[in-house]
This record gives sequence, C-alpha cells and structure tokens, in this order.
Amino acid sequence: MKCISNLNRFIGLLISLLILAGIWGCKKESLVYQTTTDVNMTSYLDKYPETFSEFRKILDITGNASFLNAYGTYTLFAPTNDAINAYLKGLGKTSVDQVDVNVLKDMVRFHLLSDTIRSNQFTDGKLPSLTMYGQYLITQAKNVGGVTKIVVNRQANIVQADISVGNGIIHAIDQVLIPAKYSVAQLIENNPKYSIFTQALKETGLYDTLNILPANNPNQNRKFLTALAESDSVLNAAGFSSYAALKARLCTTGNPKDPTDSLFLFMAYHIITDAKYLADIASSQSQVTLAPLEVLTTTLTGTTILLNDITFMGVHEPGAPIDRAGSDNSAANGVMHSLLSHIVLKIRKPVRVDWDVADFPEIRKMTSIFRKSTTTVAWDESAGFPLSTITWQVTKMVFGPTYSWSSASSITNYALYSDILILPIGGPNRPAWFEFQTPLIVRGKYKVWVGYRNQKQSSGSTNVNQCLVDGVPLSKLLEFTVPRPTGGDAELEAQGWKQYTANTSGYWGARLLGVIDIQTTSTHIFRIQNISGSQNNNNLDLIQFIPINDDQVYPRFNPDGTLVPRP
Amino acid sequence: MIQKAKYLILLLFAVMLTTSCNKWLELKPQDGIIRQNFWKTKEDVKAVVVGIYSSMLGNLSQTLFTWGEIRGDMVTSTLKTSTDQLNIMNDNITSSNSVTSWANVYQIINYCNTVIAFAPQVLNTDKTFTQTALNGYLAEAYGIRALMYFYLMRTFGEVPLQLTATSSDASIKMLPKSSQTDVYNQIVSDLTFAENNAVLTYNDNNQDKGRITKYTVNAIQADVYLWMEKYTDCITACDKVINSGKFGLIEGKRDDGSFNTQWFNTVFYTGNSNESIFEFQFDNQKTNPFYSFLINSSTNQFVGSSFVMDEFYTVDPIDDKNKDIRADLGSIRASDGLIWKYAGASNSDPKAVRNSTSSYAHWFVYRYADILLMKAEALACTSQGQAALDLVKVIRNRANALQATEKAPDPTSAVDVCDYIMDERAREFAFEGKRWFDILRNAKRNNYAHLQYLLDIITKIAPPALQQSMVSKYSDVRSHYLPINLYELQTDSKLIQNPFYQ
Repeated sequence: MKCISNLNRFIGLLISLLILAGIWGCKKESLVYQTTTDVNMTSYLDKYPETFSEFRKILDITGNASFLNAYGTYTLFAPTNDAINAYLKGLGKTSVDQVDVNVLKDMVRFHLLSDTIRSNQFTDGKLPSLTMYGQYLITQAKNVGGVTKIVVNRQANIVQADISVGNGIIHAIDQVLIPAKYSVAQLIENNPKYSIFTQALKETGLYDTLNILPANNPNQNRKFLTALAESDSVLNAAGFSSYAALKARLCTTGNPKDPTDSLFLFMAYHIITDAKYLADIASSQSQVTLAPLEVLTTTLTGTTILLNDITFMGVHEPGAPIDRAGSDNSAANGVMHSLLSHIVLKIRKPVRVDWDVADFPEIRKMTSIFRKSTTTVAWDESAGFPLSTITWQVTKMVFGPTYSWSSASSITNYALYSDILILPIGGPNRPAWFEFQTPLIVRGKYKVWVGYRNQKQSSGSTNVNQCLVDGVPLSKLLEFTVPRPTGGDAELEAQGWKQYTANTSGYWGARLLGVIDIQTTSTHIFRIQNISGSQNNNNLDLIQFIPINDDQVYPRFNPDGTLVPRP
Repeated sequence: MIQKAKYLILLLFAVMLTTSCNKWLELKPQDGIIRQNFWKTKEDVKAVVVGIYSSMLGNLSQTLFTWGEIRGDMVTSTLKTSTDQLNIMNDNITSSNSVTSWANVYQIINYCNTVIAFAPQVLNTDKTFTQTALNGYLAEAYGIRALMYFYLMRTFGEVPLQLTATSSDASIKMLPKSSQTDVYNQIVSDLTFAENNAVLTYNDNNQDKGRITKYTVNAIQADVYLWMEKYTDCITACDKVINSGKFGLIEGKRDDGSFNTQWFNTVFYTGNSNESIFEFQFDNQKTNPFYSFLINSSTNQFVGSSFVMDEFYTVDPIDDKNKDIRADLGSIRASDGLIWKYAGASNSDPKAVRNSTSSYAHWFVYRYADILLMKAEALACTSQGQAALDLVKVIRNRANALQATEKAPDPTSAVDVCDYIMDERAREFAFEGKRWFDILRNAKRNNYAHLQYLLDIITKIAPPALQQSMVSKYSDVRSHYLPINLYELQTDSKLIQNPFYQ
C-alpha cells in the first residue's frame, strides 16, 4: 500500500508539475528591462571611433566627457576626425595633446549649446541660443555647383544632422568652428574700405562702445551690438569725400562726443542694439538704434532688405539697400553689415494723422464692397488672422471685426466715407481686446481722439474700454454706448468731446482720450481693452492723432471724405 | 476511488492545459469571402473595379492637394496647419515627415494590380464574360495605375515599381527604386494598353466623368508627355480629346458681355459638366475629406494665399462688376482666402458655405481647359507660340480674365509664352492640386534651363528669416522631390533614400 501511495504521490507531483508547466508554458519571458536604450553624447561618440575618436579625446582632456554623458538638453556640433586633423595641421601640431588645454576648452564650449536645436530650426541667421562660449552660431544653406549643404558659422558643412541621443542633438560637421576674434569696432577698422566711418566712430567715442567684449560689458542691453557701416565709396557718393567733410556738414556743437551732436547721432543711428543678422533684420519691421528713440524701419522686397523705405505724407522715400554679400560678418560682440547707400536721420515735425480705421489693405482689395456695397464683411481668426494690421483676442465664439458701408443707413450715413468698423467687444464670448497697427506717426506729443457712432445693442448695454498706445494707457475711457453731449465747440472741447462730422447729429462724436508722447517715428499699436460691458455694436469710425498745439476741432469731415475747414 | 477520481480530473485538467495553446486551424474564414471563392463571374470583376474608384474617395484627394499645392505659392498656412505641413512649406523636409507617406497611393496601385492579376481567370468560369469586356475593365485598372505612378513620379522622382498583386504574405517583396525612365516607360505602356481597350462611353454621364474612358487616358497621356518634354506626342493626345467633339468649355462670360450665373454651379458645385474629363465622384453619401481640411473655420489647415487675389486674379479698381469669374467666389473667398472651389455653394453669396454633410465637391483631375492649356504649352515649346497664345486667349475670354493680368509675350520665345501659360494655369486650376507640378515642370524644362522661375517664386513665398536658405536648398534640384518616408525605408531594405535627404 505504501508503495502504491508513494507511486500515487509521485504521479500527483508529476501532474502538478505538468500543470505548472502548462500554466507558464504559454508565456514568453522578456529578460531585458530598460527605461531607454538611447545612449548619451559621449557614449554615442564612443560608438563611432572612426568618425569621432579625436573629438572624444578632446572631451577627455577638457574634462567634459562625463558631463556630456549625464542627462541634460544639449546641442553638440561634433567635428569629425578629418576636421580635427585639419585644425591641428593649421595649428602646426600633430596630436590633440599638444594643444593648450584652455584653447581646447574654449573650442568645446563654442561647439556646445545648452538647448536642443534640430536642423528644422535653422534659419538664415543665428541659432536661437548662445553657445556656451558666449557667441552666437549662424547657419545658412549654401549651393555650390548645384549641391546644397547646410553651413555652420560660414566655416563647416553639416555632414549628418539631427542625431538624436539621450541628452540632446548631435550635428556632425566637417570643419572645426573658430569663434570670432575681433570686436565689431575692430572688424570695421581692419577693413580699409571703411576709413571715414572708422574715423567718425573714433571721434564720436562710439568706437569704444563697439569694442567691449560681452563678458566685460556692464550694460546688459548692449552686450551685443550690430553696426551698419557705410563704406568710403558710399559716403563719397553722398558728397563726403573725407571725415572732415562729414564733420563740417554734421557736427553742430563742435564736439562730436556730445550725445546731442548731430554727428554723434548720425553715427549712433548706424548702430542697432542686439546681435541682428540679416535674417533677424528682415523679420522685424523696425530696429532700435543707439540714437535715442530713433528707429530704422526695414522692408524686404524680393531678396533685398531696404532701410527706411517709407511713404510719408503721400511721398515715397526710397530706402537704402543692405549689401548682402558684405554683410552678416560675425564679431565677438555682435555683427557688422554693409550699406549700399547713405542713410540719414530725418528731423520731422509732428503732423496730424486722421486715421480712417475702416480703411485697411484687405478691404481695399475688395473693390466691389469697399465704400460701395451695403454687403457687410466679417472676419474671424479661422484663417490665422486674415488682417495684416488688426488682431484681437481669440474667444470660444468666432468673432472679429465687421466692415459696414451704407450712405443710407442711419448707423453709417454721416461717418467718414460712410463706412465703419463694427467691433464686438467684451468677455466672455466676445474679444476682450482689439489691436490696430497705426499709420506712421512722427515723434511728438499728440492729443488722441476717437470718433464713433454711438449705439446700444439693447437698452441696458454698456461698453467701457481703456485705450493704450504701445502699452501706455490713455487717461480717459472710451464708451461706445455714450452719445456726444450738446454744446458749442469750445464748451465741448473743454469737456473732452467734439463734433468731427459735418452733420450735427449727436449720435456722432469724437472723444478725447488723452495726450500721448509718441517716442519714435514709426508705426505703433493702438489697443482697445474692455473694462466692463459687452456688446456687438461698437461702431468705430476714426482715430485722430493731432499735435497738441494744432487746431483740435477742425477740419471736420463730410461723408464723402472732403474736409470742412474752420469757418 | 475518490483518490483515483481526483487524479483523473487533475490529469484531464493537465491534458487540456498543455494542449490549449494549439488551435485547430480553420483555414477558411467563417465570415468573409476568400480569393479562391471570388473571381468567378463578371459581376465579381465589376465589383472590384468599382472598388478601386471608391478607394480613391478616401484621403487620396487630401494627399494630392498637399503634394500639389503646399510647396507652391497659392496656399498659405492657418493656425491649424500641422508642424509637418509647415516644415514642407518652409523646405525643412526630413524623411520622418508624415506628408511624405505614399501608403494610400500604393494601396490603390495594389487594387489595380489585383484586377490585372486575377480578372483574366474569370474568362474560364463565366462564359458570358467576353474578352472585350475584360479588356475594358483591365484598361481602367491600367489607366488608374498609370495615373497613380505619374503622381508618385512627380512627387518623389524615383519610386519602386510594384506591378504584381500583393495578395498574400508570401507575395510581399522588397523592391528597389526604379529610375524615372523606367517608371515613365511603365506609365506609357500602361496607358497604351488602356487607350486601346478603354471604352468611349459607359452610356451614363456620371460614369463617363467618374470612370476611366479613352479620353481620360488621352488626358493623362498628354500630361505625361508634357512632363517628359515629348511635345508632339502631347499635342497628338490633346487633339484626340479635342477632335472627339464630346467636350467643351462651359460658357462664363457671354459674347454680349453678360455673365453666365450658373457657371460656378455647373462646373464646380455640381460637377460632371460637359467640361469635365475625370473627377472623383464624391456625393452626399461619400463626402470628401475637405470639410475639416479646408472648409470648417475652426479646423481648416490651408487657405488661399494673398498672391491669389493680388497677383493672379487682381481686381478692377474702377468697375467692380468687371471681374474674373474664377476669382472672388469662384476659386477663393477674397475676404479671408477660404478655398471657395470646395467650400462655396454659390457664386454670389459669400456666406453660402458648404457644411459637413454637403462637402461633396468633386476632386477635378482633368478638365477640358487643361487639355487646351497643355496643348498650348506643347505648342509654345515647338515654336508655335502664336497658336499657343490663341488657346490661352480662349481660356481668358471664357473667364473674363482682367486686363491687368494680360501679357503680350513674344510668340517666338518659348520661355515667355510658357511663363504666361503658367499664370493662366494658376488662375484656371487654382487649388486643383496642379500648381507645384506646374512650377516644377516649367522650371525643369530643357535640363533646368529655367530654374530661376522656381527660385523667384520661392523668394516670394519664403518667410524672411528662411529666404536665403530656402533659395539655396531649391537651387539644388534634388530637393524638388520629397524624401522616401522613414517607415518605408525601415520596412523595405532595398530602398535607398533620395540623395538630397541622405
């Protein structure tokens, strides 16, 4: 019995084992558990010694190897072995050990950014972040013999881009990148073509401003500067054969170092704050110069960048083109560009701006509607803000401005050109703000008037708004629901009101919003910011910037746009 | 006994467990039809051929729009444009970009290959199926396959030629790329078969415009020959369509100066007009993918660029009634750039926009106007400039093209006449997925003699910060073709990436 029992137990065990095996037999066991298989930068370089062994050695010498193998977000421009060998040959050395360790440290820093930048973020200009060395790198695409390559810092081609590793991005390059040695001032001085310009820089003291390295510059805002240099031939063509001629024409105080002297201002007008490569200049409409409150406006036509190409008081003033080939010269503290023609600082007197808000490029193109058809046109942001000069807050409801014209409608009949822009304003469903780009306004002090046709969407509607010019709030509020009070011109003006239309109807009125000191001769941003109330029928017609000493009440406007002068 | 029963149960349990991993394989699916049971009657063949067309109603038109328009100058991005799409527009193209996926085109090619492989065997099982009928169906498959390869060739340059049906796992093959010449030769031979065997009419207007007829084949031939710079062949193909007398332009502006108010409705809103040669037949049961892609204002990814109204159509500043019928509320809504050709439900009311259930504007592959302008281009390239300009005039008069867009190129200069034809094509076929291919064809003619044409357009559309880089990249002609998608490279080891993207 015992024997059988044992046998039974054995069989039982066997069957139990079989069951266990059966239960597990269907599963597969994965034996490798890792959070990621991505290697970090140093390990990646180790994996490809045939390409990167020399640079890997440099990382060991400079002590960067371990920190580039730790987690982080970096972009490394890794020179290949051929690149390092060429670099060594240039230095007259045969191995990386012979190079001064500080030189190597600087070199590594110049190839490294603490940001992850893929090649699709490359532009024609600088990378969005500084290198650890403290200079910007620039990129471009260059076509040689029909083959286009991405070039870094005008020195190296990208051999392989966008190698993703655990702690960032590696771009392999075929030459070592060398940081700029000279300051902007030295770059200009070293080129004999700029002798007059150099002398003027020195005489005005701006040479020193352009000669400070970023690390030594106490002024945070002027660590990087951009110079727009005029060569001797450009100055000659403008009638200045020598520095003496320039000084004789411009130096008004006798001391070119005086910041109010015209020669000083002229030179300061050629210096832009920040490191601005052509791509940066082309991308923004105006550049802040060292001449106080004077800006350079920029326009891109075709591939040409024009400075100060503007239409003022209906007259086109052709701009000065930048010489692309002679520009984008990197310096240790900025960039140097070359101008193809002379630019001057223009002194302009403040001049009145009657800005018909219902006249902007997009509506002008719609000739069958513009000042002609009672069909209204509404815009919403679905097309990615279809209007070039007007933006507004995106709300859940799709809302934007509406253009409305009619010579018969009581809402528009007496408006300037019988057209208005209807702005739905007020949260939560309507935009809380609208922003308009103004026409060119000359530097100076102005009173700001807003002309509108008052209307209430329902009897209890209110709509109170604060207006701002370039972020500076105007003192009085704009209420689209409030009609103009009655009274004589002088009486109204004293209350901050006026009749701006020829028609005397109290529905039409202009409100004085306050006095604004326009700082730069340029276009500005006019913002209407809702404070309380919400309605659709805010009928904006006209915004006026009138110099404070000019007549504020006249001329008035007929619906056909003709002026009514002071009787 | 109990002990025994216990073991028995345990044993049974064990046996069941250990064998449970095997399944008795039922080879035939219980809820579907397999190939061996299909392909028996002529109805089966027809069903599959119709299936090819319905497979083209998926996202193909969105792919063709993207490939044909977004690198050109007639569309611009919106807030909803994807990063991948923006990267194509800014020429920052990598193989991981989803726009470079050709999967849905090859899917259609595979349906064609399936018909070509299996339809002939039906002759053995269905005695009422004639050789002529078979050839008619095969012509449709060959015609569509050629059209698909033509799109691939223009987009990617060199592509793998898959000419056999992938009907089982065993028939999956790794294919290398074929040269452009090989792809071209295949397209031409497919089209030759299709031309010889396609029917002239299906005796139903909608089918004539929605299925491959002999005239569709001629239209594709004309386009292919034009691309390969075989101008006499192109003219011959165009003439076959023109001389058939079955097509004509729907009148727009009449001789008495009045406008045909039904023009937009006939040609674009309803579709299948007398002017149409081949269209994708969307209807209220199968809407096109454009509602969320191009129409709905909270999701649309592209709108017409500012150049469309400013440069291509322009407006008459004095007489607003004098307008190009293809302009505002023809192709585009001028106020915001909405692509009216697919979005509009009226040519007079700017608020009449299609909704999601009525978004069934057809995709216009070929219209008669295309035949005339292709012929004009071929004429211009064979020293018959004046004849070419006469044809352009026909198109311009029909649409009342404005004076401001009229040019008087020297008839003896092929380049000038072709540039003028390109402008007219942009006006006539705005947003029909042709602009980029037109730009490329015009630039690459005579071994890229006119590359500057393309570079000028890039200069115009490039964002300022990328302008110089984009011009340099486009100066490298290898960049004009898209890279092969990363997924394809990983799954087909014989594929080699296009050189610009290596």
